[in-house]
Amino acid sequence: MKQLTITIQSAIFDFSRNKGRTFLTSLGILIGVLAVVLLTAFGLGLRVFIEQQFESLGSNLVRVVPGKILQGGGFRGGSSAMGTIRFDEKDVLRIERVKGVKMVVPVFTKSITIQGASESIFSDMYTSTAGVFEALNVKPQAGILFTERDVSKRSKVVVIGPTIAEKLYGTPKRAVGNTIKVESQTFRIIGVAEKKGGGFGGPDFDSYVYMPYKTAFIFNPQKTFLALIILAETEDSIPKVKRGVEEELLVRYNEDDFSVIEQQELIGAISSIFSMINTVLLAIAAISLVVGGIGIMNIMYVTVTERIKEIGIRRALGARKSDILLLFLVESVILSLLGGAGGLLLSAIIVFFIHPYFPAYISMESVLLALGVSSAIGIIFGVFPAKKAADLSPIDAIRYE
Amino acid sequence: MIKLSHVRKAYQIDNDVEFVALHDISLEINRGEFTALVGPSGSGKSTLMHIIGLLDLPTSGEIVINGDDISHLDDNALSTLRNEFVGFVFQQFNLINKLTVLENVLLPTYYARKKLSYDPEKRAMEILDRFGIGSKANSRPNRISGGQQQRVAIARSLIMSPDMILADEPTGNLDTKTGDEIMALLKDLNREDNMTVVIVTHEPDIAARTNRQIRIVDGSIESKNP
Repeated sequence: MKQLTITIQSAIFDFSRNKGRTFLTSLGILIGVLAVVLLTAFGLGLRVFIEQQFESLGSNLVRVVPGKILQGGGFRGGSSAMGTIRFDEKDVLRIERVKGVKMVVPVFTKSITIQGASESIFSDMYTSTAGVFEALNVKPQAGILFTERDVSKRSKVVVIGPTIAEKLYGTPKRAVGNTIKVESQTFRIIGVAEKKGGGFGGPDFDSYVYMPYKTAFIFNPQKTFLALIILAETEDSIPKVKRGVEEELLVRYNEDDFSVIEQQELIGAISSIFSMINTVLLAIAAISLVVGGIGIMNIMYVTVTERIKEIGIRRALGARKSDILLLFLVESVILSLLGGAGGLLLSAIIVFFIHPYFPAYISMESVLLALGVSSAIGIIFGVFPAKKAADLSPIDAIRYE
Repeated sequence: MIKLSHVRKAYQIDNDVEFVALHDISLEINRGEFTALVGPSGSGKSTLMHIIGLLDLPTSGEIVINGDDISHLDDNALSTLRNEFVGFVFQQFNLINKLTVLENVLLPTYYARKKLSYDPEKRAMEILDRFGIGSKANSRPNRISGGQQQRVAIARSLIMSPDMILADEPTGNLDTKTGDEIMALLKDLNREDNMTVVIVTHEPDIAARTNRQIRIVDGSIESKNP
């Protein structure tokens, strides 16, 4: 134990005499650990972010979309993914009768160009019943939301997202009461939704234009829907609702024509895609750790050559091969750990400054992993130079000049 | 204490060319002797010193230390024997400059496999004080004079209470006056502490200060006590 303490002390003394070299050698590991820890931090942050986005929509939701999009937990590609069928008002009526269903919100979306007073911007129109606001948890920050009456009367009113309101009229308050033009039709803005955030991976609710679906039949002459959002009475009734809806839809459609997806499944699928991307990025970052390890190996070989005489002295005084091996292993592990700790510290600082904008965070696991991996690299890449040192013959080493 | 019988050391230079450094050496060094291995450079005296100091094994022949044949010991056992049986003093001092004087003296105790019956640090300070360099305990070796460095080296060779001090040209890097002081110190250790001291030197003057000279010429012992 005492010997180890002294070994560590003398290693640190060596490093402090060779500050530049120590820094450059550790830099490889520092960058590798920085890359791995930051990527993990962002990967975790992204997952939390996406989950928050979906949770803000409420968790009692079941979606019906055309085609088979989810299978075995992931998105399935291929031609059927986009689907060909469209839902209509008949489907809405049938599903409303399913037990446990509180509300069915049919959705038709369309990309549009909005003309405001001074400029025109691109946006997504989201047309539905008044229930969409409850299902998607949308609240007004200015003005009011449209009602079932607006839907049945086909009122030419819209509720817009805050991003659009700010772009066109500066503030949400000023937007209310003004009009926008969509494909030469004029609509009155009766309300501006609260900020929800979004954009990264999730839908950007803040630039939506919500319109009563019956009003939107102008743009949707077939009177069909791209999706049905179903609000279950309770979270527990979701499986029952899912089965009921499937049975109801199978009367009119084939099994492959539609998917009934729980919110949780969707989160799971998106998370699994992101974690896959993250894994690939981590693998790439891990390569830089290996490169850093090779840097340590390189410098340890140099160190061994520089200290052949010292090895000889120690051997003459009674050090065993294993003592010499330990001496150099300790040094390479310290070098590597210095890099690891530096990388960790730097990523902590970066995450600290990024945190207000993005929920990136460093988990205990990634701290332990970073330190574990850097000591492992110190051992793996240090063992060959250390072995070389240990295997020197004492007589050759002591005579070395 | 240490007895060499028919020791031969040969180096393979090429496939069929052999260089014989030591032919058939037999000698015995007894406890309390102050002996010099003398010979011109290239005589084989350094090779002999390495074999006596257990840094190298002979090609053939027998070495018996305190009654035990050591020719077949493995590397770990030889390391332990180097640690306990012999204390080295080198021409180049061979101190480690990143360690302090005290740490250099203590270095052999870090590799000790037996339990020491004394407090190494206290003992190291006693020896340093005795040699008049106690005040340098926390200095780095490259900050003190050559004579002081050699005293540190001798202190280091004594810390494990070895059976024998093996000094390779201990005065070779020192001026005459300092060299004399070092020789006086070694003689002192021999006389007062009954320490066995073996000096390897090519200088007859230095050899003359010991009690017994073994002259090596061309890898063989020329004659005892001419």
